[in-house]
Amino acid sequence: MEDVWVAAAAARVGAAWLAAVLGLIVLPSVLGISLGISEAYMWVLVKTLERMTVNSQNYFLMWLPFPSQGIIERDETPMEKEIARLHPADFEFSDILYFCRKGFEAIVEDEVTQRFSSEELLSWNLLTRTNVNFHYISLRLTIVWVIGVVVRYCFLLPLRITLAAIGITSMIVGTTLVGQLPNGSVKNYLSEVVHLTCSRILVRALSGTIHYHNKENRPKKGGICVANHTSPIDAIILTNDGCYAMVGQVHGGLMGVIQRATVKACPHVWFERSEIKDRHLVTKRLREHVADKSKLPILIFPEGTCINNTSVMMFKKGSFEIGGTIYPVAIKYDPQFGDAFWNSSKYNIVSYLLRIMTSWAIVCNVWYLPPMVREEDEDAVQFANRVKSAIARQGGLTELPWDGGLKRAKVKDTFREEQQKNYSMMLVRNGSIG
Amino acid sequence: LGLSRGTQTPIPSLLSPTVTSEQIEHLHRRFKQLSQDQLTIRKENFDSIPDLEFNPIRGKIVHAFFDKRNLRQASDGLVDEINFEDFLTIMSYFRPIEMNMDEEQLDRFRKEKLKFLFHMYDSDHDGKITLQEYRNVVEELLSGNPHLEKESARSIADGAMMEAASICVGQMGPDQVYEGITFEDFLKMWQGIDIETKMHVRFLNMETIAHCY
Repeated sequence: MEDVWVAAAAARVGAAWLAAVLGLIVLPSVLGISLGISEAYMWVLVKTLERMTVNSQNYFLMWLPFPSQGIIERDETPMEKEIARLHPADFEFSDILYFCRKGFEAIVEDEVTQRFSSEELLSWNLLTRTNVNFHYISLRLTIVWVIGVVVRYCFLLPLRITLAAIGITSMIVGTTLVGQLPNGSVKNYLSEVVHLTCSRILVRALSGTIHYHNKENRPKKGGICVANHTSPIDAIILTNDGCYAMVGQVHGGLMGVIQRATVKACPHVWFERSEIKDRHLVTKRLREHVADKSKLPILIFPEGTCINNTSVMMFKKGSFEIGGTIYPVAIKYDPQFGDAFWNSSKYNIVSYLLRIMTSWAIVCNVWYLPPMVREEDEDAVQFANRVKSAIARQGGLTELPWDGGLKRAKVKDTFREEQQKNYSMMLVRNGSIG
Repeated sequence: LGLSRGTQTPIPSLLSPTVTSEQIEHLHRRFKQLSQDQLTIRKENFDSIPDLEFNPIRGKIVHAFFDKRNLRQASDGLVDEINFEDFLTIMSYFRPIEMNMDEEQLDRFRKEKLKFLFHMYDSDHDGKITLQEYRNVVEELLSGNPHLEKESARSIADGAMMEAASICVGQMGPDQVYEGITFEDFLKMWQGIDIETKMHVRFLNMETIAHCY
């Protein structure tokens, strides 16, 4: 008898919960309005963190963090000047000094490896994962931290998982339904509605607060949208504000189901694994898509891999050979509330999503930059670098010429030979050879 | 100040006071990164640094870390692996100059750094840089350039060696053979070159960063 009563009560609580979620979160997403719940939450969060850090006098909350731009002072004098300074003319022992120092600087700190670990914070945000050297500080702080854990895991996490489930299900169901309609403007309109709604639900599932700047530069149809890559949720961040045609590889599992469903409603470009290898095929398909001015802009992440959002790495030139107008977008996450960077060599996607969903929030700024076109005398690589600079400048990120693929592979020999060639050409010029 | 839960490493005396404990902590983190959380580093661990790939004398630099002479253990030989203390010992060769050093300290400072460079050239550990050893260094610096033949690298080395001989020994008779550059000769060659300010890795000043309090 009691069991039935308990079960009934639980069912009613569950129903009330679901109703609250639907009413307060899902419905506004459909309509595209905001009830201000997220804003209120963020305000409370910010105030709490501020008070926590100010109140802990005389304690170090965290070992002195090092700024992400580096810890050693690098002498940026180019090789020619430095060696000319060391000796006026011929080859001497001292040339080895330059390379020696460069080598040691690289050993103490190299620019590439530090881009594949999470950005360090200047003050702790009450998440253990950001407190590298955690140790007991004060009772008060520990209590607050415990409350934080309870809030995050027992309240926020179930809420977010519910929302994510609703979002993904409605995406699959919605796009399948829309896909049944005949092609036409009604279908396109409904497809946009479905995509936007589901994106909004998913963004709320992450407690995302996104500020969009310069909306007048938003990517238009027939264009290519290019952005820096930090995590798989970049796509959701962008689709929250507009519709894009995604480009990517066909996956299996849940992702594959989503891909198959969405492509019925909207012309996303999904490649089979074998097709990806053939660059010409890829370029051709993308060109066809872009040429059709009625199709949605395609979304590409030219870095090819996730970087930790402190810098922008080499843009692969493939995306810039397609032609058309490029709409660059800069995305910068605020690491104070949650680290969005996906270190794919350290965490798999499930543990990554779990970390994201147990963070405080995802806060980011998105800047739409004015469109760029490839100029007459530029080749794809130069154009790619120009776009990269624009994005880095806007987002306040450092620019690196390195290839994101270095996360997994070694430096190409061509780079090393380049350096050595420069050096030996200098020697030849100085007339050291008879 | 709470140090990390990791090992409390005794700071080698030759490092203090130029290097602060924050810098040591950073080097320790770097060491752990390179060693992949092991206690020692081997030569292969240096392969994971992309920036180092650029460097033509990469081999010699890595070799220097395992050279017993640099580790002050013996006058010859190589070790297979180094721990954090050894790592700091090698790093100390690149510590920057201090403002309040007196003449004698400066001189010792300079000699240490030059000794490190000398060991880099002298690959067979016999205390002399022979013509062959010098040629090796030049070739390594110039390797990778397809346009420069081995002959050119050799002639550069030979020319430089002759110049070294003239500085160190003066005029040589036709029968005299210049065996190699000893450390004293090496010091002579570097006279006038400001090595103290060129051979250092300078840490950024950490005190300017605000920390929560």
